[in-house]
Amino acid sequence: MKDYQLAWRNLWRNRRRTIITAASVFFAVFFAMVMRSFQLGAYDRMFKNVIESYTGYLQLQEKDYLDEPELDNGFELTDSITGIVVSDPDVTAVVPRLESFALAAAGNRTQGVMVMGIDPTGEEKVSGISKRLVSFRLDSVAVARLKDENIPERTKSLLDIFLDESYAGYSRIMLDLGIHEKDSALVLPYLRKDASVVNNYISEDDSLGVILGSGLSGYLSAGLGDTIVLIGQGYHGVSAFGKYVVRGIVKLPAPDIDNAIIYMTIGAARELYGAPGMATSAVIRLKGNSDRDISLTSARLSGSIPGDLIIRPWQELNELLVNQMDADNKSGMIMIGILYLVIAFGVFGTVLMMLAERKREFGMLISVGMRKGKLARVVSLEMLFIGLIGVIAGVAASLPIIFLGNVHPIRFTGEYARMYEEYGFEPVMPTMLPDTYVLWQSVVVLIILLIAISFSIRKIYKIDVIKSMRS
Amino acid sequence: MITGIAWKNVWRNRSRSLIVIAAITVGVFAGVFTIAIMNSAVVQRIDAAVNEELSHIQINNRDFRSNGQADNVIPDYDSVLSVVSSTPGVKEATGRIIIKGMASTAAKSSGVEITGIDVEKEKQIMTLHSKLIEGTGSYFGSETRYNSAFIGEKLAKELNIIRFILTEEDFNDLASAGVPEELLNHLEPIRNQRFTSEKKFSSELKQLLTPAEQRKYMLQVKESAWSYREGSRIILTFLDINNVQTGAVFRVSGIFRTNNNMFEATSVFVPAEELRPLTGIPEGEFHRMIVRLDSDDLTDGVLKQLRSTLPGLEVLSWKDIQPDLAMMAGMMHLVYGIFMIIILAALAFGIVNTMLMAVLERTRELGMLAAIGMNKGRIFVMIMLESIFLSIVGGITGMIVGGTVIAATAEKGINLVKYADGFEAMGYSAHLYPSIDTGFFVMTAVMIVITGILSAVYPARKALKLNPVEAIRGEK
Repeated sequence: MKDYQLAWRNLWRNRRRTIITAASVFFAVFFAMVMRSFQLGAYDRMFKNVIESYTGYLQLQEKDYLDEPELDNGFELTDSITGIVVSDPDVTAVVPRLESFALAAAGNRTQGVMVMGIDPTGEEKVSGISKRLVSFRLDSVAVARLKDENIPERTKSLLDIFLDESYAGYSRIMLDLGIHEKDSALVLPYLRKDASVVNNYISEDDSLGVILGSGLSGYLSAGLGDTIVLIGQGYHGVSAFGKYVVRGIVKLPAPDIDNAIIYMTIGAARELYGAPGMATSAVIRLKGNSDRDISLTSARLSGSIPGDLIIRPWQELNELLVNQMDADNKSGMIMIGILYLVIAFGVFGTVLMMLAERKREFGMLISVGMRKGKLARVVSLEMLFIGLIGVIAGVAASLPIIFLGNVHPIRFTGEYARMYEEYGFEPVMPTMLPDTYVLWQSVVVLIILLIAISFSIRKIYKIDVIKSMRS
Repeated sequence: MITGIAWKNVWRNRSRSLIVIAAITVGVFAGVFTIAIMNSAVVQRIDAAVNEELSHIQINNRDFRSNGQADNVIPDYDSVLSVVSSTPGVKEATGRIIIKGMASTAAKSSGVEITGIDVEKEKQIMTLHSKLIEGTGSYFGSETRYNSAFIGEKLAKELNIIRFILTEEDFNDLASAGVPEELLNHLEPIRNQRFTSEKKFSSELKQLLTPAEQRKYMLQVKESAWSYREGSRIILTFLDINNVQTGAVFRVSGIFRTNNNMFEATSVFVPAEELRPLTGIPEGEFHRMIVRLDSDDLTDGVLKQLRSTLPGLEVLSWKDIQPDLAMMAGMMHLVYGIFMIIILAALAFGIVNTMLMAVLERTRELGMLAAIGMNKGRIFVMIMLESIFLSIVGGITGMIVGGTVIAATAEKGINLVKYADGFEAMGYSAHLYPSIDTGFFVMTAVMIVITGILSAVYPARKALKLNPVEAIRGEK
């Protein structure tokens, strides 16, 4: 009989022990998989939010701009520079931006803001601002009107929690207000009637129009058509001021940005800050966004652009976020480490018991002529099988949850949603689809098993046949 | 009697029991210690919020938070103060003038919240004055003819008041502090060179030093190059009571360092009496009163009482001002409980396995016991007790080890310097002093016993199902 057949049969001689040991591995793998996938999914989402609504994957900057983000560290974006970048085979577009700070005033409210001058058509390709224009807003008037409508009580009671919240589409407002699919036909017409907002995007030649983040619009209590005044410091210290009209309001998924941003055309921003032809950064759009694509393109471009400019990948542009996620990631890994440590002890305990219990059997086998090497192989295979059953079962059981969580991510509502947003996170917890982290679970289990196996092999080679049969 | 037998049974197969006990010890220790570290982050954040930033309760003019205009002061401040002071549980209260404005130097400007304070009173009730960085001056100590301001390190860096220079003296200090000469040679190109921002200095260091040197000495070099000229000046501009823009030069009296970057970057403290002539806010009027209580546990009670005695004002506790923090404080124990349950569940597999072995290998013996008249209930209890003993011995050892390690590290703390930026951006300290309340140990102990009981159910039921006659006959 082959080694693996022997091992497999041995496993089922003591069915209970096999199942319990495999179950403990299963528990650890299952738990670690689900937890990792939520954790990694959350990071992924968070980075995507910031990258896709704000920084982009690659940026062209003056080399001191990252350390000192001020207009004086901007650069003149000439056609020749754009030409060099666009001629790279992986680059599909270069979109200039002019960013600076200003004090915004509307009525008697004042607030420090980030002003971002954009190319309205080009920007659509990188951050897609027009897709984030607010379509519903639950201001006090809308809430009061909705309360009088014929809509479910549950939705009415949730209205107050989300007072002054803005929504770019249906999905989030339906979740927040507890509107089920089946009620949607009933409730949505009322929402459209009472709470919808007609928003405009800015056009290329609009030198007066601005778009506000929904959080900022709330702070300034400035709505569509209101006038806001911007005061700040321009290029090389000239004073900058201007009067603008709010054309639209956007809801950005990253609350830090949503609470502070004002978009205008790059022409208007250059005018405001007295910086003709300048840009503080240019977002580079690529064909593919994998880490490999990014580093390859970045390396190629770095060679060809002028010396005072630099290519920054998203990790450098979001250093703080990368740092935070790293710390959080480590804490998650420690937790899983503890779990595996405990499981490892459980596995050792079982192995030790198994060895003690089968001492007589081993002695017998050796005395009737089985070589110690073969015995060791069989026992090792037994343990590998147990680990394999645990890992496969754990991965298999966690996959449905992971896939489901990716398609229908958990969304926090009410108080929890607010808490998440206070911290600058979107209150959504998607899972990350299976990736290398699946492999890591197997590697960890394998390491635990290898230690257990080497221990038992030593034991087997040390068996004293006579003594063990007497016991 | 049965207890004694169960205890002896545990030690019949010493190595097997010890392995399970060791697993429980390690699991419980790791859980307790990790939770103590997590807990310390939350506790330290709350302490900082209450002691440095917010105090327990704040009282504002009703409109002040939604409309921060300078004339939204607390009406009839003196009588409010006397009402608050006579409320039981209140230790101290003091007024603050709060103005939004801009702080600038020749190089930079930044939006700030200017807080006018009663210097002596604040010193008694808040701890911010003790966060002064050594060598940056004092907490409004020196007499100057200028107005004076107490600002955060982050703001000072943003305004380029703090610079980075490696002087002769710094080189000598570093050499005598045991920094290798080779590294100092690497730094030679930037001797006496002035860097206006920390980032510039860091990126220069990253180019000059090898990765190994960076890991080991970067912080030390940075700390040594950190330089600040005492009495730097900043200009504060803001709107006065008539909405007219005004401003003045303030001399930085001292710089404080907390773990909250946002707070450090936006807070400027100045004596209230220096702000009055500039803003036109009359003597005795304030925007906000901060109230300090005898203990944090009283917050909710005093809050309720103040709300009823001061109906015209906005009364907020720190929990209302930072709801995320309050929620965290409330959820903390739940999170710790779940964490422990996961660890104990993993341990339970080990215990079940061991107890099952213990029952199955004693089939004959258990059958014998039943045959000579030991009733099933007692056998059941015996197995249960064995499992509970295993978990209690492991659990208590784990808790003792955990408690000892917590006590040993609590003094010096654990410094996660590498993650300081990320932590401090969210207001948390990266230097953690592990701590946990005794209630948590009690909860853990109870959970351990429950784990022991639950893991024994299956093996004990197996023992009950044994038929005495077959059990005795069965091969050993």
